[in-house]
Amino acid sequence: MGESPLKVMVVDDHPMWRDAVARDLADAGFEVVATAGDGEQAVRRARAARPDVLVLDLNLPLKPGVAVCRELVGADPALRVLVLSASGEHADVLEAVKSGATGYLVKSASTGELLDAVRRTAVGEAVFTPGLAGLVLGEYRRLAAGPSGPAPATPAPRLTDRETEVLRLVAKGLSYKQIAERLVISHRTVQNHVQNTLGKLQLHNRVELVRYAIETGLDED
Amino acid sequence: MARETRGRMSVEQPLWRALTAYRVLTMLYAVALFASAHRHFVRPEVAVGYLAVLMVWTLATVRRVSDARSCTRGFLGVDLTVAVVGILLTPLADSAARIHAGGPTLPSIWTAGSVLAFAVKGGWRWAAFASTLVAAANLVERGAPTRDTVHNVILVWVAAIAIGYVVEVARASERTLARALEIEAATRERERLARDIHDGVLQVLAMIRRRAADGATGGGADTAELVRLAGEQESALRALISRGLPGPRDAHRREDVPDGGPEPGGEQSDGPLDLRALLARHATGPRIALAEPGTPVELPGHTARELAAAVGAALDNVRAHAGEDARAWILLEDEPAQVIVTVRDDGPGIPAGRLQAAESEGRLGVAQSIRGRLRDLGGTAELFSVPGQGAEVEMRVPKT
Repeated sequence: MGESPLKVMVVDDHPMWRDAVARDLADAGFEVVATAGDGEQAVRRARAARPDVLVLDLNLPLKPGVAVCRELVGADPALRVLVLSASGEHADVLEAVKSGATGYLVKSASTGELLDAVRRTAVGEAVFTPGLAGLVLGEYRRLAAGPSGPAPATPAPRLTDRETEVLRLVAKGLSYKQIAERLVISHRTVQNHVQNTLGKLQLHNRVELVRYAIETGLDED
Repeated sequence: MARETRGRMSVEQPLWRALTAYRVLTMLYAVALFASAHRHFVRPEVAVGYLAVLMVWTLATVRRVSDARSCTRGFLGVDLTVAVVGILLTPLADSAARIHAGGPTLPSIWTAGSVLAFAVKGGWRWAAFASTLVAAANLVERGAPTRDTVHNVILVWVAAIAIGYVVEVARASERTLARALEIEAATRERERLARDIHDGVLQVLAMIRRRAADGATGGGADTAELVRLAGEQESALRALISRGLPGPRDAHRREDVPDGGPEPGGEQSDGPLDLRALLARHATGPRIALAEPGTPVELPGHTARELAAAVGAALDNVRAHAGEDARAWILLEDEPAQVIVTVRDDGPGIPAGRLQAAESEGRLGVAQSIRGRLRDLGGTAELFSVPGQGAEVEMRVPKT
């Protein structure tokens, strides 16, 4: 990992859970630079503490996790966000990922999985659960199916056949290693494919946001 | 209980109140009618005696027409008897000339109150019965059906039946409204529970699972059991708060789902169903993961239920062949022309050659039944296995 430990911040409204996660991270050698229990606090403290990785719950008081993610990643694209959330918040998870989160883990994951996910998120790897892969696949199909927003001038992002194939295998619970074996490609290539699927979605989202801002005159300030 | 309370503040209530007032006022009217014309009566003592009974009866039973529960069958029977007896006594008390001229009966329009009580209590059939009886009594009293009598009889008859019918319709719509309110209240309660559970129990359960899982690496069967239990409860709760408790009707419907057999009596509608909700019922426990789009995947009811049943069969197959400990993943994909559901497990898979052998012998057991279901839906099911990566069943159903 390098000389200085990774700086991590934990945001969750449940104190018991937050402390437990922070302790696990600290025990594993990460530097927990801040914690926060609500959305407003999260934005303020993240700006002051400048963590490398933000471990973020989406269900937050005062400001939703998706908004926290959008603001912080918007201000500092180098920040990595790992969403750690209860399952069954489909729309939120998808929104968070489109707004710049690069990882998603459900709360029932083990400590080992969490530590691994934080490490991978820190180096810029996309951390997918099968559930997230299913959501992302669905989102591409939804975007391809037709206009949903106001007058979509930007063409819908598309997955290559290989990317679709990789994403489907992730959604079916195969590890990157297993996928690499099955498709006879390298582990690194699998990672790149997965990352690309996220990157295109985030880019599309940013373009749409900017276009929307221009249309509604929000770009004047 | 709640429904009773709402029922009392209903459309029906004003009718009962009106009826209470009507009976008392028409009783006084009958007395006044007699008082104004008592000199013409041939036997005024009969009229006085009857009106005294009518007055006592009406005042004693004022509360009986204040709501449906007080208005018993016994009361209705006696009330109608009082009305009919009054009509039939008229020829004894009054002069034949007056009766022939179309004069009022002893209870006069009070009898309509009795008929209306039947209507409000029991609907149009009861109303038809009571008004027919009163009509018959009126015709007997007149001796011959004059035009006025027939008109009056028909008027009472039509009015009573119409009011009875309105009451029935009102009751039905109140029941619907009550049901809607119950559903709304249940939904709100579920949302409240979901928030509370999210903030409390779920977090703790997830943490127990994590903590225990970390501790269990050293061994200890008890801890492993605890991990399993906590994990199961956690996913059960998550499923509960996202879909809610099955009500009595839902529970019945849910039992129908797994077998997915022919639908008896068309009880299940063929309206579109979100396949995600049906599949979520299978994705219980920490060993089964469900990957799905964020938007509803709608299929006609029958198709959706059959497909979900096929997924259930595939999961049974996983348990049977890959063992209880095998993990399974369900992937639901919504393509423009078809819906694809894949069930994969991480079991030992199917050795090459065995699949073909089994297939050529025509015995693939569960796999065969999955194929059959899909074929009936106009779709396909494919079973394949990659060495070291478990087995997969891919089910495709066309959308139209």
